[in-house]
Amino acid sequence: MSIRLQLLIVALTTLVLPWAGCQYAKELETALRSSQEQSLLASAATIANALSAQPQRVFHDAEDTQPFSAGAGDLYVYPLVTQPLLDGYRQDWDVPAEPTPLPTTTGYRARLQAGSTEGFLYLFIAVDDSHFDAEPNDVRPDVDRFDRVNLVLDGPNGRETYFFGTNAPGLIAAQSVVIGEDGVDRVVAEPRIQAFWLQTAAGYHLEARIPLSFVGRHLWVEALDGRGKGQAGFAADSAAGGRLFFATPGLDTLLETFIGDGTRATVIDANALKLGSAGTVVSKKRGEAEESEPIWYRYFLGIDTSDMPTLPVSPDHLSGESVSSALHGRAHAQWVLGGSYREMRLTAAAPIVIDGHLHGAVVLEQAADQLLALRDRALSRLFNLTLIATAAAVIIMFVFATWISLRIGRLRDAAESAVGSDGRIQLTMPESASADEIGALSRGFERLLARLNEHAQYLRTLGGKLSHELRTPLTIVRSSLDNLESEGLRDDQLHYITRAREGTQRLQSILSALGAAARVEESIKQSERVNFDLRELLVSAVAAYRDGFPGTQFALQTPEDPCFARGAPDLMVQLLDKLIENAVDFCPKEGTVTVRLERVPENYCLQVANDGPLIPEALMGRLFESLFEQRQGGDDKPHFGLGLYIVRLVAEFHGGTAVAANRDDGSGVVFTIMLPLI
Amino acid sequence: MKKQIAIVEDEPALRENYAAALARHGYSIKTYGNRRTAMQAFNARLPDLAIIDISLEDEAEGGFDLCRDLRALSAELPIIFLTARDSELDAVSGLRLGADDFLTKDVSLPHLAARVAALFRRIDALRRPDNAAEIVRRGALSIDGEKMQTTWNGAPVTLSLTEFWIVHALAKNPGHVKNRQQLMDAANVVLDDNTITSHIKRVRRKFQQVDAAFDAIQTVYGMGYRWVE
Repeated sequence: MSIRLQLLIVALTTLVLPWAGCQYAKELETALRSSQEQSLLASAATIANALSAQPQRVFHDAEDTQPFSAGAGDLYVYPLVTQPLLDGYRQDWDVPAEPTPLPTTTGYRARLQAGSTEGFLYLFIAVDDSHFDAEPNDVRPDVDRFDRVNLVLDGPNGRETYFFGTNAPGLIAAQSVVIGEDGVDRVVAEPRIQAFWLQTAAGYHLEARIPLSFVGRHLWVEALDGRGKGQAGFAADSAAGGRLFFATPGLDTLLETFIGDGTRATVIDANALKLGSAGTVVSKKRGEAEESEPIWYRYFLGIDTSDMPTLPVSPDHLSGESVSSALHGRAHAQWVLGGSYREMRLTAAAPIVIDGHLHGAVVLEQAADQLLALRDRALSRLFNLTLIATAAAVIIMFVFATWISLRIGRLRDAAESAVGSDGRIQLTMPESASADEIGALSRGFERLLARLNEHAQYLRTLGGKLSHELRTPLTIVRSSLDNLESEGLRDDQLHYITRAREGTQRLQSILSALGAAARVEESIKQSERVNFDLRELLVSAVAAYRDGFPGTQFALQTPEDPCFARGAPDLMVQLLDKLIENAVDFCPKEGTVTVRLERVPENYCLQVANDGPLIPEALMGRLFESLFEQRQGGDDKPHFGLGLYIVRLVAEFHGGTAVAANRDDGSGVVFTIMLPLI
Repeated sequence: MKKQIAIVEDEPALRENYAAALARHGYSIKTYGNRRTAMQAFNARLPDLAIIDISLEDEAEGGFDLCRDLRALSAELPIIFLTARDSELDAVSGLRLGADDFLTKDVSLPHLAARVAALFRRIDALRRPDNAAEIVRRGALSIDGEKMQTTWNGAPVTLSLTEFWIVHALAKNPGHVKNRQQLMDAANVVLDDNTITSHIKRVRRKFQQVDAAFDAIQTVYGMGYRWVE
């Protein structure tokens, strides 16, 4: 794995930053939520305390401890915001709840809903009655049968009974039976209680308006079919009947003073019925909230809301864990899903306790959206920043890694090519001026190379030095032998002299071979350049080789015309000598040494080829190095790997190059010398 | 009277070997280990011939200095450099200082003796009247084998002993190619190819100093050299 890749992977660990950011954001949100819970609970408790100090403004009827029971006819009176029009429709009541069915034993279906404004109680009764039975004239309520709705009010002057009936749908007044001064029952209209009778496809609607001064704690409503076929509701004499549960007038205004924007406060009584509420929960649609934010990080950042309870919505009462907890005397806050878009909301409920008795509770609701928005803003900034930081870190790392690996690559290339194929050593390495480890490495290389170079230099000069230093002792031996011989020896002694002389001769040739390169270098320094005919040189030299190596066949191919080159012909002959010696050494018996000269663009191409064994690829570049010798074979001539080195020296003196190659068909080896044309 | 030869050589074994060999040829030998003692002796009495090594004890080029001083004392005294140093530069320096020959220590004792004899013969010849029989003429070249003198178009060409013998060998049979071995034999010397080449080069240069158009010594590549008229 390259350093670049490694560092890149290391750089990717900076991705831990956004992750840590997420964790932090989650913690932040948890803390924010918890603090919101606390503050909302505190608000709820404060409001509850404040309200408990003025119970008369909250609870209009503090004594009734019977729980609310819709089955027993108890009615929640919805606070109406505007005065509804008496028209038989309750759309203008703006109450989200459906009317409550009245109990029936006959299958006669009627539904009732109550509402109130400041001065009036409104009743809405919808009756399913397929046949309209009109009220007769001069009605006798006890006797006559017609479609009617009986209403019993528990007024301040005792129980009053009214009925509604009509012979024509429209605006009507309630009627009651009054016992006159004469003791005769008479039906009189009560014009203060007005109603609108609306005939519908299913039956009729009755929308009645009753001044609150007529209304007491209880109410009985009964719908009767004109043909006696059905009845629904509560008869006036039944024990069961509706209690009216009013919202507390003025409480809304009072509550409004307690709360701020975005919060809804609701006061409920012990039955969880709403006594008053103020404020609205500002909630954005979820979709809107998310539109502006990238969804992808919400995906792994969003709070899991699946286990949050859904807040049940009902217009007349509140429910939920907080509410029931508060109604058991414990303040409680809870996250729920509420509203039309099921967004997150916080509810907090605190009990209202007056004189040790629990009377109700204050419930505060707040949307979490503000919180979310805050978190999202912080988070998206955090996210973007850390992502940018990560990207920057990765890019910087990448650039840095590229730089480092470039430098190391340069160093590696330089190290690889430091020892050239010609054995020359490049002593300076790149990066050696850098102060860091790479620079130190480079300097280490340089020291190593310098030592290698000294060593190579030493080896190169060793031959010359040896041949020089050994010459004097060798001369002593030889001159002693000369003297010894001159003293006159016996024949048997002469043998030894002869052997010793042969030994010195061999030593002599070894020394001469060792010093050859030094001498060639020397003579190259002294050489003068002249123009000479390479072709003529080859022709005469090859003729000489034919004489010199009678066991080897020579083939010579040259151009027809003279090939003038500039240089030292003597050195060129030496170059040729070395190449031919080499070729003859390796050429098998019956093989041919081919010498070929041809003109190629800008150069003479001089090739000496033999049919001998191929050169291993690995050695190819090193053949022309000084003191490089890889020769098996047992001729007794000393070889020090200087021959081809001399070839190279001479070729370079002539501005040319020397290359060795195997023949393509594997039949032998070709040494090629390129010499510039003149 | 025996000819006196001075050998200045710092290597005692070698010195004694040379001395023994030359003494066997009937010369009287004086040996010196360094320049100082040699110069003291030469100031008192000049030898008939001096054989000098270049590096003498602690003086790397003491032989050159000695040669110069000796040449100042006598212009005719034959001087032979006999040294382990075989670089062309040393040879050129030595011959330029007026040495009659420059030999490397590869030379065998018989060869050395032959040279010494040749140099003495030349001295003798110079004192005698001309002996035309020994003179070889090849066109502009004339070689006096006795006096070892060479002239080109009548102008003298100063050659060292080795060079003289090479020219002599070539000019004796014009047109014949003499290979290196033959030239070495003629010069009574063992030399490697490069040294022969540089000798030939030096000879050509010396002739060209007299006649810039000199071109009588021809290289036959791979074989040797020949004299062309």
